[in-house]
Amino acid sequence: MASDKELSDFLKSIEKRAFKRVAYAVRDDDAALDIVQDSMIRLAEKYVDRPAAELPLVFQRIVSNATMDWFRRQKVRNAVVRNFSEYESSSDDGDFDLLETLASQNESSATESASESVSRAQILLAIDTEVSKLPARQREAFLLRYWEELDVAETASVMGCSEGSVKTHCSRAVHALADALKAKGIEL
Amino acid sequence: MNNTNLRTYAPAELDALEARLALRMTARLTERTADLPQDVSERLRFAREQALTRARAARKAQVAEAGVTVGSGPTLSLGRGDAGSSWWVQLASVLPLIALVAGLVLIQRVHNSNQISAAAEIDASLLADDLPPSAYSDPGFVEFLKDPRD
Repeated sequence: MASDKELSDFLKSIEKRAFKRVAYAVRDDDAALDIVQDSMIRLAEKYVDRPAAELPLVFQRIVSNATMDWFRRQKVRNAVVRNFSEYESSSDDGDFDLLETLASQNESSATESASESVSRAQILLAIDTEVSKLPARQREAFLLRYWEELDVAETASVMGCSEGSVKTHCSRAVHALADALKAKGIEL
Repeated sequence: MNNTNLRTYAPAELDALEARLALRMTARLTERTADLPQDVSERLRFAREQALTRARAARKAQVAEAGVTVGSGPTLSLGRGDAGSSWWVQLASVLPLIALVAGLVLIQRVHNSNQISAAAEIDASLLADDLPPSAYSDPGFVEFLKDPRD
């Protein structure tokens, strides 16, 4: 059973990322805050007897379900699916370019070149914006896998899809972000 | 397009590259979330405190529930004891039903017995009377009995 301190530390460590993740999805900060608060309360009430190690996965699942509930209530789920299909048709052109560039830059230790031309705050804003533009499923997979650092199986479990789908979504998301950032002259 | 310079990667190498790039992006996202507006941070703090309050209440409720379960242990053991006592409990629960059925049967028999006794008394008084029973089947005698003047 997670102690008060463990639960508090966990929520403190995750609350901002959870808020951003939900805000990307619902595009409404107030709604995102409500969803995160509901998720926290649901976690505290229903899963307080779980060990602390299980909390991250359980919480991500609760947040995902709460977000889906919100969409159901708002009846805008179709719009999300439409965004997804829009992305699918335009994602295959040259999406390996930046990755190759990134790799060669890494090899030559030239990663600071981007910050010479664009301020750090602008880079952060650009990444934030591009993440928000990702199709919903890709963004969900990308954030869970690489931001929340769940493994592929855990991500698949939270998203309710196969591990293969998670890998595909993640790969497409990374390539799309890389392309978009490259187009803005940003290299990481 | 500069696809002419594309290098092909082994799947594992490509996965590693994607992961490195993704982790750099998410590191920037983490940096950005550190600068969330004050009101958002406050609401998150409030939400966290609310959740902790609920967690404490939930823990107390669980402890209380556990106490009730422990308290009801002996009662449960009476109901769910060994096989012998279970039979006795089942028998005890069937006894009232058996008593009810037996009572109904007894009442029915007493009622029948009373009816038979009453009929026998009537028959006996008819047979013991001076008037023969066949007189009652005579229409003239019946009319005589109905006559109010007598």
